[in-house]
Amino acid sequence: MDTSSPSAFVNGALLRRYIGQKVRTVVQVIGSDMGSVVGKSTDDLQIFVKGSPPASTTTYLEVIGIAESENSIRAETWTNFGISFDALNYNELCKLANGEFKHLFI
Amino acid sequence: MQTSVTPDAISAVLSNPSFDSSSDRPDIVVQVVDLKPIGNRYTFSANDGKTKVKAMFTASLTPEIISGNIQNLGLIRLLDFTVNDISSKSTKYFLVNKCEAVAPALDSEIDLESKSEEEGGEFKRQKLEHSPVNDVKTDVSTGITLKPKQEFVAKSASQIISEQRGNAAPAARMAMTRRVHPLVSLNPYQGSWTIKVRVTNKGPMRNYRNARGEGCVFNVELTDEEGTQIQATMFNDAARKFYDRFQLGKVYFISRGSLKLANKQFKTVQNDYEMTLNENSEVEEASNEEMFVPETKFNFVPIEELGLYVNQKELIDLIGVVQSVSPTISIRRRTDNEMIPKRDITLADESKKTVVVSLWNDLATGIGQELLDMADKSPVIAIKSLKVGDFQGVSLSTISRSNVVINPESPEAKKLKSWYDSEGKETSMSSIGSGMSPSAKNGAWSMYTDRVLLSHITSNPSLGEEKPAFFSTRGYISFIKPDQTMWYQACKTCNKKVTEAIDAGYWCEGCQKKDEECSLRYIMVVKVSDSTGEAWFSSFNDEAEKIIGCSADELNKLRSEGGEVNEFQTKLKEATWSSHIFRISVTQNEYNGEKRQRVTVKGVAPVDFAAETRLLLQDISKKSK
Ligand SMILES: [Zn+2]
Repeated sequence: MDTSSPSAFVNGALLRRYIGQKVRTVVQVIGSDMGSVVGKSTDDLQIFVKGSPPASTTTYLEVIGIAESENSIRAETWTNFGISFDALNYNELCKLANGEFKHLFI
Repeated sequence: MQTSVTPDAISAVLSNPSFDSSSDRPDIVVQVVDLKPIGNRYTFSANDGKTKVKAMFTASLTPEIISGNIQNLGLIRLLDFTVNDISSKSTKYFLVNKCEAVAPALDSEIDLESKSEEEGGEFKRQKLEHSPVNDVKTDVSTGITLKPKQEFVAKSASQIISEQRGNAAPAARMAMTRRVHPLVSLNPYQGSWTIKVRVTNKGPMRNYRNARGEGCVFNVELTDEEGTQIQATMFNDAARKFYDRFQLGKVYFISRGSLKLANKQFKTVQNDYEMTLNENSEVEEASNEEMFVPETKFNFVPIEELGLYVNQKELIDLIGVVQSVSPTISIRRRTDNEMIPKRDITLADESKKTVVVSLWNDLATGIGQELLDMADKSPVIAIKSLKVGDFQGVSLSTISRSNVVINPESPEAKKLKSWYDSEGKETSMSSIGSGMSPSAKNGAWSMYTDRVLLSHITSNPSLGEEKPAFFSTRGYISFIKPDQTMWYQACKTCNKKVTEAIDAGYWCEGCQKKDEECSLRYIMVVKVSDSTGEAWFSSFNDEAEKIIGCSADELNKLRSEGGEVNEFQTKLKEATWSSHIFRISVTQNEYNGEKRQRVTVKGVAPVDFAAETRLLLQDISKKSK
């Protein structure tokens, strides 16, 4: 397992903790164009994802990249997560991974 | 009920330093003003309409205030109190040891001074002369700094009482413009308030009998513009007075109720307080008011997630399209042998699942009948406050305060209706309960109740000794022995085992007849593993079909085909290392004179990862508490 470049699980609120670092999150796609995607985080905040999104995106999209600001990510990896995704569970995962169980995550 | 204070009582007391709690002291009624908590006790100003003095309730009276018996702007009769000096100043304060509530909160602070000025001072004088304080054997007049005595004009006692009633507090009340308080701001310490609320639930009138006698009581659930809710209870006269006035769904102005801390055990709405209305409370329908008060607030749970709530204390709200409505039947209630009407309705939602809701009592006969009449139009209904039970897997029941709304005007209802009209009515639906258990009689259950790990079963060899124990568990099929007897030849009519007849065909002992054909039905054991251990599960036809992925007849055909690529082996391999949720029973069987634990699969369901994750999150939050 490659641990040289870990990416932290974040929701919208947690993004600010990792500015300049690598993060991963899942957003619900609100809108997209050539160079970016506007998404809603699992805690209902707006996130701008920059880079080269796939030609077509599904409702939910996982992005991995560098947190540029408290509401934007420059994404390197884009993965369509389909149309059915449990945002509530993901949001709880983000909270646990950055809180009580932080030590279990890289 | 006394509606006013004892005028000039305070100045009379203050002017007489030797005043003590002697028995001949008359009752003094004052108004509580500026009631405030200080530590574990309360301070206030005692107001007699002309003079105010700082006062404090001893800590022993704190419960009276918390319960709402003593209210700000309410009237109290001082039964035992002392007059003390505030050391730093030359003023005095009352320390109240004992008092009784005379009236709940008035709408405003009583001010006899300004009133009497309007009326030329005459009215005030009479009350002074006739007030009980004047009977005190002290020189009252010396304590009254504001009133010259010479204006006295005689009036009868009854005239005075009627003037006091008619003029003092109510007059002040009428002069006030009605200000509506948000429900969230109400508390027991606050005096006058008026709320504007919708009756979002109304209970039946109940008769009760206790040590203090018998009476009747009913309650309503009130919701204001902000969606805050409170329960209001009325007893006896108040119950009789307001039972017909309160109508479900209508909007009312209410004032002069009292608040107390809600009894958590019986709490039905999210509010720390509950309200009691007495016969003097004011309840006025706001019929001409253009206003918005939200209809019943719903928090809908999709049918497919109901499993999470089975046998939990939490009540749920549901919205669904009516699929069918049964006639009413009468059920004898076990506790008192009373016959209760019940009607079952089946609802469906976008999760393509259906669930049965039992309507009881008035809901069965009233709104239930309405639903029966319109069932062919597939109405959408929303139900507030349902109990989730495990009968037939998952089942719902109304309770006395459940509330049914037909074709509600809400976005959820519109969305559901348009889904149903466009595709839902053509879709095949499955019951939320049936996907899990073929028969309800052997342990009604849900996939989310009694969840255990395998080690719980294997480490408790005495499980199921007295009676079968039921659990649900999540695990992987880890091994299916290919050379075991996997099926038996079964009668196509009754599924019982048949024997091959001498000539041809199969003989069924149960049906007492011969058939040309038989069908194969599974009876097999599979090994199930999870992170804590492994166990052998016995599985019958329907459950085994779900585990293997095909019928016993089909599997038999694959086995008989043989060949280089053995499809039979492939089928078993595919079934292995897939995970399922199992409902199981644990029993003890005699085997060669030895007792052995036997685990039988009662149901198999695919893993719903989102629901399982929620279950795990629940466990994590329980553990961290
Ligand atoms: Zn038969």
